[in-house]
Amino acid sequence: MNRVVITGLGPVSSIGIGISEFDASLREGRSGISRITSFDPTGFPHVCAGEVHHFQPETILRRLNPSFWGRSTLFAAAAARLAVEDAQLDLDQVSSGRVGVVIGTTCGESAVVEALTAEIVERGFEALSPELLHQSPGNRLAHGVSEELGAAGVSLTLGTACSASNYALGYAYDSLRNGEADVMVAGGADAVCRWVHAGFFRLGALARDACSPFDRDRSGILTAEGGSALVLETLDHAQARGARPYAEVFGYGLNCDADHMVAPNAASIAACMRLAHHNASIKPSDIDYICAHGTGTRANDSTEAQAIREVFGERLPPISSIKSMLGHTMGAASSFGAIASVLAITGGFLPPTINWTNPDLELAGLDPVPNKARPAKIRVVQNNGFAFGGNNAILILGACA
Amino acid sequence: MTSLAVTGCGILCSVGIGLDALAGVLARDCEANPGPDVGDLYTDALPSPTGHALVDLNFRQLLGRKGTAFLDRRSGLALIACGRALEDSGLRVDDGNRHRIGVTLGTTWGSLKSMSDYTKESLLEERPYLVNPALFPNTVMNCAAGQAAIWYGLKGPNATIAGGQLAFLSVLVYAANALRCGYADIILAGAVEEFTPHTAWATHQTQPDKSPLTAGEGAAIFVVERSDGAKSADRHLDAEVMSVVTGFSPGGEQSGGMSSALADCIRRALAKANVKPDGVSFVATCETGDEDQDRIEAGAVTAVFGSADVERVLVKKILGECNAATGGLQLATLLVLHRDDPSRDGHISLITGWTRDGGIGAAVLRGWSRVSSHHG
Repeated sequence: MNRVVITGLGPVSSIGIGISEFDASLREGRSGISRITSFDPTGFPHVCAGEVHHFQPETILRRLNPSFWGRSTLFAAAAARLAVEDAQLDLDQVSSGRVGVVIGTTCGESAVVEALTAEIVERGFEALSPELLHQSPGNRLAHGVSEELGAAGVSLTLGTACSASNYALGYAYDSLRNGEADVMVAGGADAVCRWVHAGFFRLGALARDACSPFDRDRSGILTAEGGSALVLETLDHAQARGARPYAEVFGYGLNCDADHMVAPNAASIAACMRLAHHNASIKPSDIDYICAHGTGTRANDSTEAQAIREVFGERLPPISSIKSMLGHTMGAASSFGAIASVLAITGGFLPPTINWTNPDLELAGLDPVPNKARPAKIRVVQNNGFAFGGNNAILILGACA
Repeated sequence: MTSLAVTGCGILCSVGIGLDALAGVLARDCEANPGPDVGDLYTDALPSPTGHALVDLNFRQLLGRKGTAFLDRRSGLALIACGRALEDSGLRVDDGNRHRIGVTLGTTWGSLKSMSDYTKESLLEERPYLVNPALFPNTVMNCAAGQAAIWYGLKGPNATIAGGQLAFLSVLVYAANALRCGYADIILAGAVEEFTPHTAWATHQTQPDKSPLTAGEGAAIFVVERSDGAKSADRHLDAEVMSVVTGFSPGGEQSGGMSSALADCIRRALAKANVKPDGVSFVATCETGDEDQDRIEAGAVTAVFGSADVERVLVKKILGECNAATGGLQLATLLVLHRDDPSRDGHISLITGWTRDGGIGAAVLRGWSRVSSHHG
C-alpha cells in the first residue's frame, strides 16, 4: 500500500481565487457573501449568496475554451489548474494514463440546466439549443478537468450532493494507495442557481444575509458556489520529483443514514466518524481540529454536535465551520474544507466560525473558534461532509511525519 | 485478490420488466423499432409520437401507495429495479448485514425534469419561492440512490456517478474499489434513466437529422459482491467481472483519436482479464445503428477483433437512447443470453462505452446460466 500525500491546492471561491488569497481570508475571517447576480432574485425575501464575482476562467485555463463549457465545469477546471500550478507539477513529466480526475457535485451543470429551462419557458421544448444540451450532463465536470490537464486516467464525476468532494478525495486516495494512479486531481464544483435558492428558502433553511453556524440564533445556510481541487500523489511520486507534501491522507469513512432524504441522523453520523477513525488507524483523542460540515441550520449543527459528543466524549477538539465565510458551496464544500484543513496543519492556525454572537446551551462545551482565527499546533484533522440522501463522508488528514 | 461476482439483477426497459421481457425482443429481432406510443404519458408535446418508454408502468401498484407520492420517475424506476435485483439474488437484508450493503447508481443529469421543473415553477409562480418543498430532494443527483437506501434499509456506502453513456462502467469501477477496499460486502450497482419530455427533446435536438434514434428509459441494477462472499452465501454466479477499465481521451470525439484510444482501453481490459481477443464471444456496445454516430465504437471493435466472428448486440437499436442506463442494459443482454443456456457457460463478453467529451471504458465479463446451478 502506498502512502498518499497532498501537494497542491486550488480554491476558486467567494473569499479568494488561488491559495494565498484564500489562506489570508481564512485567517482574517472574511465573508464572501453578497447580493445575488447569477439570477434575478427579485421577489425573494432573502437575496444573498456566496458568489465568485471576479472569476475569469480565460485567465486561468490553458486548454479549455470557456465558451464551450458550463459554469460548474469551469470552476472545477480552473481549480484543478491552480492546484496543479501550486503543486509545481509538470504534467508533461507524468505518463498521462497515470493521472486521474474525480470531481464531486450536487447539481452538476445547474446554470446550464437553468438556461435550458429559460428556453423552454420562453419558446417551448423545440427551442432547446443543442449547444447548451451538450454542455448539460454531469459527467462534463470531470471530463472538463481531464481535458484541461490532458489527463488520460479515470475521469469520474461523483454526484453525492454536499459531501461529494469528500467522496472524490476518498476515491482518489484509494486509487493512489492501490497503485492504480500516480497523480489524482480531486475536488468539487457547483454554481449558484435559482432552484437551489428557492428550495432551501422554502424548506425554511436559508439565512437572510449571514450564515452563523453553532450560534444560538442560527437561521440556515446561504447558497454559494465555486470550485476546489487538490493534487494528491503517492508519497513516492512526490518525493521522486522533489515536491513538498503539505499533508497526508490517513483515510476516510462512508456510510448512509437510510433514514430520511433531508434530515441528518446523529447515530449514523457518529458511526461514520468511527468508520473514518478506524480506516485511518487513529483514535478520537488524536484529532486536533474538526472542520465541521456546519451548514448553519438548526438541525445540522445540533445533530453534528450530538454525533461528535457521542464519539469524542467530554474532550472535544475545536470545531469550526468555514461555511460561515463561504456559504454552502454544495458539491465543492468538503474539498474547501479539506483545503482549509491542510492550511490549518501547515500554517498552524484554526480557521474561525464568523458571525458568531451567542452561545447555544444545547451545544455547551463546543468551541466553534468564534470570529477570530487562532494559532494552534494541528497534526490531525477530521473533515466532515454530510448530504441529502444521508450520504455521509468523513476524511482524515494529518501532518506529514 | 478475489474477482467480482454479479449474483442478481433487476431490469426495466421499454419492452418490460425482467430478463424475460428483454429475452423476448432479443430473440424476435434486433432490428430498429420505434417503441410504443408515448402520446398519453405527458401533457407537454413530445418530439415524436413513439418512444422507448415504459408506458404502462404503474409505480403505485409496484411500490405501494406509501412514500411514493413525491417520487420522480427516475427514483421510482430505481426503487423497482433495486427490489427486483435483491429478489433475483435471494439476498435478504437484515440488521446483521444492512450496514455492509451499499448502493452505486449511474446517471446523466440526475432528473433533468425535476431540476428544470423546479426552476420553471420559481420563474412562473406569483412569488419565486412558491415551489413545493417536498419535491426539492428530487432535484439533487443522488436522490434515487438515497431513496433506494431508505426504501430497502441499506446503510453501506451510497454513491451516485454522473457518467452519461459511460456511467455504468464507471459505476462498476467505483463499486469494485469499494468492495476491494472492504468498505462494503455487497453493492447494488446499476444505472437509471427516465423518459420525460426533457430527455425526449434532449435526444431529439442533439441527433443528426436523419437518425432514427429516439429517447428511451430504463433501470438496470445488479447485485455485485466479492466472489468469495457469493460462494460462501451460496448465491448464483450470473457473471464474473474479470476486469473493468475506464479512462479519458483528450480532445474527445472532435480529436480523431477517440477510436484508437477506445481500442487501447479495450486491449487493456482484455489484458487485465488475461483474455485474448479470440477468447471473446459476445460484444455489447453503445452503437445506435447509424454508421456516422457509431464510427468511434465500431472502429475500436474492428481494430481489436478484426474480422473475427464476434456476436454483437446494439441495445440502442431496440431500446432507444437510454443514456446512463445503456451500459446496464448492455450487461442485461449478456445475462439474457446466459441465463437459460448452459451451452454458453463460461463464455466471455465485452462491454464498451464512451462519451463525446472523451470518456472511454470497457469491461470483460464471463457469464453463467442458472440451469447448471453454478454457484459463486
